[in-house]
Amino acid sequence: MSEVSERDIARSELRWGVITAISVSIIMVAVIFAGVVMHINPPSNIERVNPQDLHLSAEFTEANLGTKVEATGQITARIVATQFAFVPRCVLLPADTPVTIRLSSPDVIHGILVSGTNVNTMVVPGYVSQVHTVFRRTGDLLMPCHEYCGLGHSEMMATVRVVPKNDFRPGPDGRATCAAK
Amino acid sequence: MEPDDDGLSPEAIDAALKQTPRGAFVLAGITVGLLMAAWLAIYFFVFLPRGQVS
Repeated sequence: MSEVSERDIARSELRWGVITAISVSIIMVAVIFAGVVMHINPPSNIERVNPQDLHLSAEFTEANLGTKVEATGQITARIVATQFAFVPRCVLLPADTPVTIRLSSPDVIHGILVSGTNVNTMVVPGYVSQVHTVFRRTGDLLMPCHEYCGLGHSEMMATVRVVPKNDFRPGPDGRATCAAK
Repeated sequence: MEPDDDGLSPEAIDAALKQTPRGAFVLAGITVGLLMAAWLAIYFFVFLPRGQVS
């Protein structure tokens, strides 16, 4: 091979290296833009809870599950992910309002996503998973378990019912359920 | 014809090899260009409109 063609190859590789660096830079800028400007970050919450007495804990007792408007006005939905169901099976949340979803598991690792949104997190026994989000569209959004958790995994799903802000009317105790809607 | 005799002169092979980097560059450019376009399309038209999460 002649010297000229080897120089061509070196130049091509250099050019290709520049294009690769530009591509990676564009992706990095997009990811930083999403995090800093759009506030889209991977949910991260390190909060321990004892999975063995989760149902007896103050927060994840059966009576405290579902959607509740806290005294501060913060709307929180608490869900237990267990083999092979979510408790409750349906949570009611308002659209265009900051909401927090808190989940925990008493048995094995589960995972959730809310279809059509960026809500997506693992639910690990011993920890509380927490996601802050604002739902932009109303309707019944499917929330399946997306981490294989056993033979009934494919049947494990819940519904997030997003209603217009004005139609979200919690009871006097601050609780809102799908049945009450 | 001998197995290693492809009927091409060394000059012809040199001339063909000279074009190789350009061809590889175009092929890789199209592939990576499509990949980047798909990534950016998903990012701007699916991921960002789905709204904030943290």
